[in-house]
Amino acid sequence: MDERLEKALDFGNYTVTFNNQKRLLTEKFYDDCIAYQGGGRFTLTREFLSYLSGLKNQKRAVIIDDNDLPVEINDLEEFCDNARSQYAEAANQYFKSYKEMIANRKPGALVGYV
Amino acid sequence: MSKGVLCFASNNLEVDYVKQAVYFAKRVKKHLNLPVTLVTSDVNYVDRLNVRTVFDKIISVDKEKQNQKRFYDGSLHNKLLSFDNASRINAYDLSPYEETIVLDIDYILFNNVFLNCFNQPHNFLIYKDAIDVCHWRKNPEFEYINDNGVPFYWATCFFFRKTNEVQVFFNLMKHLKENWTHYSSVFDLGTPTFRNDHIFSMAIHIMNGYKDSNWAKPMPGRKYFALDRDVIEVLDDDHVILLVEKEKYIGEYTLASLKDTNVHLMNKLSLGGHV
Repeated sequence: MDERLEKALDFGNYTVTFNNQKRLLTEKFYDDCIAYQGGGRFTLTREFLSYLSGLKNQKRAVIIDDNDLPVEINDLEEFCDNARSQYAEAANQYFKSYKEMIANRKPGALVGYV
Repeated sequence: MSKGVLCFASNNLEVDYVKQAVYFAKRVKKHLNLPVTLVTSDVNYVDRLNVRTVFDKIISVDKEKQNQKRFYDGSLHNKLLSFDNASRINAYDLSPYEETIVLDIDYILFNNVFLNCFNQPHNFLIYKDAIDVCHWRKNPEFEYINDNGVPFYWATCFFFRKTNEVQVFFNLMKHLKENWTHYSSVFDLGTPTFRNDHIFSMAIHIMNGYKDSNWAKPMPGRKYFALDRDVIEVLDDDHVILLVEKEKYIGEYTLASLKDTNVHLMNKLSLGGHV
């Protein structure tokens, strides 16, 4: 095979694997951003965290969860702290995994297969 | 309330489901620390393997009339084999636990997210949506069970509490199963072959009042799956590496990996080589 074509095909393989792996890392980040509290399920997003910040003077609150059901949060301060730290931890993990991924230039290395 | 995991495993000529169930139960113990009950028609084989201690209980059932299906091992290799899948709808009666997680043995656990089932108020949880490990595939069969918009639910993984309402649901499935030819036609499935995902989807649709509603709430976390066209390359404690079929190139693969993420690996022939 012509070397130029071979290199292009290799790069094509890399791109396919990279894009799929990047998507899986993003999905993992979303998974890590799901919090469970008071029987409710909450997906932590920037908007949700911002909404929680607006409630900071309250001790308790009723918050609507992912199933559109009201959930009573009795210790709002603890809930907010936990939500912020869970989101930060998920983002840090995503950042670390993404940095590792972009440092690798071969499909096998992208998925940790060496 | 008693809590545990229920799984089903009955061997066919090629797939050693019991051996896979042993591997599965060990992972449940590690990540969820819950007792596992095995429902099987191969109790003698369990004894021959000397693995009774892995399970909390072993429930012997008669071999059901088996369905045939094509088992793929990658996109180019397949075999027509029998499989026994009809006991799932009896999970309510079979489970020795008041709160039960039912999992396919090819649902590989890497974390403890399912423990959140026990800290929430809903009595029946199941996944409706799922994420393919490979983004270029479209899987319309996993969105609706027919062309009339009845949503697809994954019977591979669900949670229930023993309540009257949930018992009504399981009894409904027994009725659907007894009259399967009729209901598979009413629901326009296009095939009379019995499938757990379909019977669960049909029963949930009825419990929803024949509407798109939310009687069944989602399981904790999200479900990932790899098809039997994908091959397992590495499976260890914290991650899995898969060869996934390339888009439009049958028999060619690229790599994908998941770390600390529960995943349903449908290639049972490939899974058998890793457990």
